[in-house]
Amino acid sequence: MRSISNKQHENERIQVMGLRKSKKTGFKKYSILPGFGLTMGYTMLYLSILVLLPLSMIIFYSSQMSWPEFWDTVLDPRVVASYKLSFGASLAAGVINMVFGVLLAWVLVRYSFPGKKIIDGLVDLPFALPTAVAGIALTTVYAPNGWVGSLLGFKVVFTPIGVVIALTFIGLPFVVRMVQPVLQSLEKEVEEASASLGASRFQTFRRIIFPEVLPAALAGFTLAFARSLGEYGSVVFISGNMPLKTEITPLLIMTKLEQYDYAGATAIAAVMLVTSFMLLFIINFIQWWTNRKFISH
Amino acid sequence: MSIVINSVSKAFGTFQALEDINLEINTGELVALLGPSGSGKTSLLRIIAGLESADQGSIFFDSENITGITAKERKVGFVFQHYALFRHMTVFDNIAYGLKVRPRKVRPGKKDIQNKVHELLELVKLKDLSNRYPAQLSGGQRQRVALARALAVEPKVLLLDEPFGALDAKVRKELRRWLRRLHDEFQISSIFVTHDQEEALDVADKIVVMNQGKIEQIGTPEEVYENPQTPFVYDFLGSVNLFKGRLNNGKLTQGNVNLEIPDWAGSDNMEAVGYARPHDISICRESAGEGTVPAIISHIHLVGPIVQIELVRKGTNEYLEAEIPKEKYRKLGLNVGEEVFIKPKQLKIFTPEDFII
Repeated sequence: MRSISNKQHENERIQVMGLRKSKKTGFKKYSILPGFGLTMGYTMLYLSILVLLPLSMIIFYSSQMSWPEFWDTVLDPRVVASYKLSFGASLAAGVINMVFGVLLAWVLVRYSFPGKKIIDGLVDLPFALPTAVAGIALTTVYAPNGWVGSLLGFKVVFTPIGVVIALTFIGLPFVVRMVQPVLQSLEKEVEEASASLGASRFQTFRRIIFPEVLPAALAGFTLAFARSLGEYGSVVFISGNMPLKTEITPLLIMTKLEQYDYAGATAIAAVMLVTSFMLLFIINFIQWWTNRKFISH
Repeated sequence: MSIVINSVSKAFGTFQALEDINLEINTGELVALLGPSGSGKTSLLRIIAGLESADQGSIFFDSENITGITAKERKVGFVFQHYALFRHMTVFDNIAYGLKVRPRKVRPGKKDIQNKVHELLELVKLKDLSNRYPAQLSGGQRQRVALARALAVEPKVLLLDEPFGALDAKVRKELRRWLRRLHDEFQISSIFVTHDQEEALDVADKIVVMNQGKIEQIGTPEEVYENPQTPFVYDFLGSVNLFKGRLNNGKLTQGNVNLEIPDWAGSDNMEAVGYARPHDISICRESAGEGTVPAIISHIHLVGPIVQIELVRKGTNEYLEAEIPKEKYRKLGLNVGEEVFIKPKQLKIFTPEDFII
């Protein structure tokens, strides 16, 4: 009996505290739908178990190393070369996807043509395909004796270009799927207004459509970029994994793991984590900055 | 600038939106295109603006044929029904847009653009809101920004598509007065589309009544209201009471009611419908023989100086509407459910030929 009543007391106390706290901090606004506490609590738990806890393990493991050891591992020329390739190729692939993703979305939204639904479905394929399959397929096609590779005057497979191609492939759906709904929601009247005010088609695109699409394109770029950084399966086949030349960082982490060098692997992972976080933070800031105008205050 | 529309037709697939439209608009006129939805009024406006192309016919601004010229080159100001403001631009930038996109040679300097925009902001009374974004404005304010934006390029023709359609009644009345003043001040030709007859009668110099892709009547508000040429115009421009019957020697007969129609003295047993506005109906307590129609009062609206009375015609159960001054209403001492006798003071007769369009 005592324990039950105690529990009840505690519950009441928590409720009262929660109320007071929310009033003070202003987190909770009045809403028709109840359940802020429940959903928020679940969100925190979910994120902690799935994201924060595993990530903290990286820091935990790498902290087993001494500082000199850590710097040695992290600044090893082979590892540094892999950072350059991973971040460089991901950025390049992200930019390519941003440009062509917008173009693809434009075609899919603005025009109707036979087979449009099929093409629309094809866009999602890189999501569904196992990355290793994609890697093998791309390598076959772009190899010097492959269908496309034999037509090109330069080497693609086993060079950084190959890495960029693989990353572009897997990042394609992000920009298209982010930009599509924005283009769909663009009113035709706005373009007509621009034309009737004397703007040329290019001016209408640059001044009216582009600013509307940019935040979505940037969001798509962020997702594609983040996905590319972590990509492993499709890249390892096409890159050839030559030390100092075509090794990506995730591959180095894998290699270290296979050698039971857990601390070394997590050290590199920690560097990637921090760098990615900073980059995403910057991109999100740019995104917020371009998007702020649409939000009414 | 005067506008001449010469036998313009337009079809969307199998739907004939406009059929052989001929219309002339003089410089400085404020014209209303009035009609129900689907009557083709917006299509006509968009064709004039160059946002849509006509299948047939031609359009002249002054004496220049502009049929093949794009919207960009036509230099008309167009105000959209849903404003179509650029939501990522401030009010200032929205209004300045038309000036900023001009080719470098004819583009005004930064200072000039600023002055012009401020002048317009003052005109539309939005001076303090120049840094706001469209999302932060009310409907009426947005509409005024849209107007200022269209006026910034100094158009010779101003086209407005249901400009006040999405606003509440009070703002609407205010804005249309204001539009009238603006129009007079700027000396431009304006055309606006509306389905609200009161709005058209209130502001326009000339009303073009449209129905099913054709023009039913063109005239001043007085002309179209007082002297409608087709049953559609009569019906569309206000409430109406119908008296069906057969015309014989200047009398419209239905059952034991005979209404005198002196204008049709020579008529001989033809089907006809008499149209009368509610204010042209008089009510009396006593029957005056065959010239009056017996009816039962079903409802009385008492608000304002005019009393609206709804009646049900005896025998046919047709619905009738009468408007009488309050004094007269008091004198008669009418009550719901009472039987009275009504008499149309004025009947406009349409014969079946008028209905075949």
